[in-house]
Amino acid sequence: MKALLWLAIACVGALATGAIALNRGEPVNSFWLILAAVCIYLLGFRFYSKFLAARVMALDDNRATPAERLRNGHDYEPTNKWIVFGHHFAAIAGPGPLVGPVLAAQFGYLPGTLWILAGGVLGGAVQDFIILFASLRRDGKSLGAMAREEIGKVGGFVALITVLLIMVILLAVVGLVVVNALVGSPWGAFTILATMPVALFMGIYLRFVRPGKVLECSAIGFLLVLLSIFGGQWISLSPYAAAFTFSGITIALAIIAYGFLASALPVWLLLAPRDYLSTFVKLGVVFLLAIGILIVRPELQMPAISRFIAGTGPVFAGKVFPFVFITIACGAISGFHALISSGTTPKMLARETHARHVGYGAMILESFVAIMAMIAACVLQPGVYFAINSPGAILGKTADAAVATITAWGYPVTTAQMATLAHRVGEATLFSRTGGAPSLALGMAQIFSATGGGDAVLGFWYHFAIMFEALFILTILDAGTRVGRFMLQDLAGNIYKPLGRVSWMPGVLVSSAIVVLGWGYFLVEGVLDPLGGINTLWPLFGIANQLLASIALCVATTILIRMHGAKYCWVTGVPLAWLVTVTFTAGWQKIFSTAPRIGFLAQANLMTGRSAFNARLDAAVTAVFLILVTVILLDSLRVWASILSGTQPSKARETPFVQSHLSVEGL
Amino acid sequence: MKFWRYLKALLRELSDETAYERHLALSGSTHSAKEWRRFSDERHRAKYSRARCC
Repeated sequence: MKALLWLAIACVGALATGAIALNRGEPVNSFWLILAAVCIYLLGFRFYSKFLAARVMALDDNRATPAERLRNGHDYEPTNKWIVFGHHFAAIAGPGPLVGPVLAAQFGYLPGTLWILAGGVLGGAVQDFIILFASLRRDGKSLGAMAREEIGKVGGFVALITVLLIMVILLAVVGLVVVNALVGSPWGAFTILATMPVALFMGIYLRFVRPGKVLECSAIGFLLVLLSIFGGQWISLSPYAAAFTFSGITIALAIIAYGFLASALPVWLLLAPRDYLSTFVKLGVVFLLAIGILIVRPELQMPAISRFIAGTGPVFAGKVFPFVFITIACGAISGFHALISSGTTPKMLARETHARHVGYGAMILESFVAIMAMIAACVLQPGVYFAINSPGAILGKTADAAVATITAWGYPVTTAQMATLAHRVGEATLFSRTGGAPSLALGMAQIFSATGGGDAVLGFWYHFAIMFEALFILTILDAGTRVGRFMLQDLAGNIYKPLGRVSWMPGVLVSSAIVVLGWGYFLVEGVLDPLGGINTLWPLFGIANQLLASIALCVATTILIRMHGAKYCWVTGVPLAWLVTVTFTAGWQKIFSTAPRIGFLAQANLMTGRSAFNARLDAAVTAVFLILVTVILLDSLRVWASILSGTQPSKARETPFVQSHLSVEGL
Repeated sequence: MKFWRYLKALLRELSDETAYERHLALSGSTHSAKEWRRFSDERHRAKYSRARCC
C-alpha cells in the first residue's frame, strides 16, 4: 500500500514537472510548481535522505550526542527535534533564497526552478545533512576546525580567510539591496528609520523594564513596526515627504555609519532586540506567503524560458550556464549553511537520527522558500518585472525610452501601467528599482492583497514586505560586521596581542572601522556602478558562497572517504564537481570575458579612473576566491589519494562511542 | 493542539526564554533583572560571534 502511495507521488511529481517544463506560450498556474516541488521534496526526503542516514552515515540512536554527553544548559542541550528544526531553519533562512530566485527569473521561471529543486535535493540538503552529522560526531566542531583536522592546517586557514572575504561581499550586496529598495521612497525610508528607535526601545524595555520577557517585548515591537508602516504612508503624503526622500549614496553612507555604530554599541541595545523581532517576522512572513500562494494560486506571467538565456539579460549579464547556478545559491546549495550546521545545531540534537529531519529537512524547506520567491517574481508581468529590475543605463533616461526598450525585447509594458502601479504602492516610480527587493515586495503584495482587500491594501503589503526584507538584512549587516570584527581581531591578535582582546575599545573601534570600510567600499561602488551594482556584486557573492560550499563538500568528501573508502564518495563528490565546474567557469568569465558587461577586465579597459580601478579590484577579488579554493581542492585531493592508497590512516576521526541513556519523550 | 504547543515551544526557544529557564534551574538562582542581564550578556556574546547565514 505504501509503495503504491509513493508511486503515486512520483507520478504526480513527474506530471507536474512535465507541465512546468514542457509548457510554452500559455501562462502556467503556480500550483503546478508547488505540486512538482512538494512531490520532489517528499521523494528526496523519504528515499535519498533515508539512504544517506542508513547506509552512508549509519546514524545510531544508541550513540550519545554531544548535547547529552556535554550537557551544560547553555550551548549543549538536548532539544525536541521540531524545535531544533525551527531553530536551524530560522538560522539558515536569510535574504539569499528570496533575492537570488527573483534575479534569476530574468531567464524565465524554468531554469531557476529546476536548479532550486535538483540543487536542493541532491546538493544543498546533502551538504547540510553531512556537515551536521560530521559535527555531531565531533563534539559540535566548526567547519573551520573540521577542515583543519580532516584536510590540514592550510585548509583550516583558507576556510577562515574565505569566510571573512565572503562576509565582506555578502554585507555589501545585501546593503545594496536595501539601498535600492529605499532610494527615492519616503514611505520605505521612514518605516525603516522608525525601526531603529523601536529596536532601542525594545532593548531598554527588555533590559530594565521587563527583563526576560522577550516574546512580550517582541510583540510590542511588532505592533510598533506595523504602526511605522502607516506612519510612513502618512509621511509620504505629507509636506515632510521631501525630508525622507534620499539618494542612493546618502542611504549607503547612512547604512555604513549605522553598521559601525551597531557593531560598537552594546549588543543588548540594538542588535539583540531587532534580531529577535526580525526572526519572528521572517518566520511569520514565510508562513503567510505559503498560505497566500496556496489560496490565490496565481498564474505565472513570466515565460518558462526568456530570450535572455543567451547572456544578454538586463538584470545581470551572462548565459544561463553558469550564471543561474551562482545567482541562486541559498535556495539550492549554500556554503554558509555549513557554518550553521557546524555551529549551534549539532549541540542541540538529542538523537543522531534527528540530524536527518533537521539537516536535510530544513534545507528542503529553505528550497521551498526559494520556489515561493520565484513564484512571487514570476506572477508579475514580464514587462513590469524588467522595468523594475533593469538599471537605468540599459533602459534609457526617460520612462518612454524605458518602456520602448522593454517592449522591443518582446515584453510589452506602458508608462501608464507603471505609473498606476507605482501610485498604487505609494511610490514615485518603480522604474530601475534593481536589487530584487522591490519586485519581490510587489509580487508578495499582489499575492497578499488578492487574499482580501485588493488594490486598497497593495501599498501596505508592498511596504510591509520591504520592511520585512530590510529588517532582517540590517540585522545581518550589524551581526555580520560584529562577526567580521571578531575574526579580524582573532587574526590581528597574532600580530599585536591587545588587538585580539574583544573588550579593548581601541581594538574594537579600529577593527569595526576596517570591516565596515571593507563592505562599505563595495557598497558605494555598487551604488555608483552605472550598470547597476547588482550586476557586479551579486555574481561575486554567488561565486564566493558556492566556493565556500565547495570547501564544505571537500571536508564532507574527506570524511566519507575515511569512513567508506571510495564507495560513497560520489554522494558529495558529484555536487562538489558540479559546483567547482560552475563556479570556476563563472569566475573565469567574470574576470576574462571580452564582453564588458560580464568581464571585469574588459570593463576596466573601457573605463577610466576610479571605475577602472573598481573593475580591476573585482577581478582581483574573484581571482583570490578561485586561488583559495584551488588550494583547498589540491590539498583535499592529496589527502584523498593518501587515504585511498593507504599511506594515511583511513579511520574516521570521531569522538568515541558512548551509550546513550537519554529519554526523548519529555523533550 | 500539538502544533500550537510546538509553535509556542519554538517561539520560546527562539526568544531564549527557555534557555533562561534552564539557566535558572542549573544555577539554582531565581529570576531578577540582574540575573537576566548576566544570562543574556553571556548568551549574546556567544550568539553574535558566529557567522550569520545569507
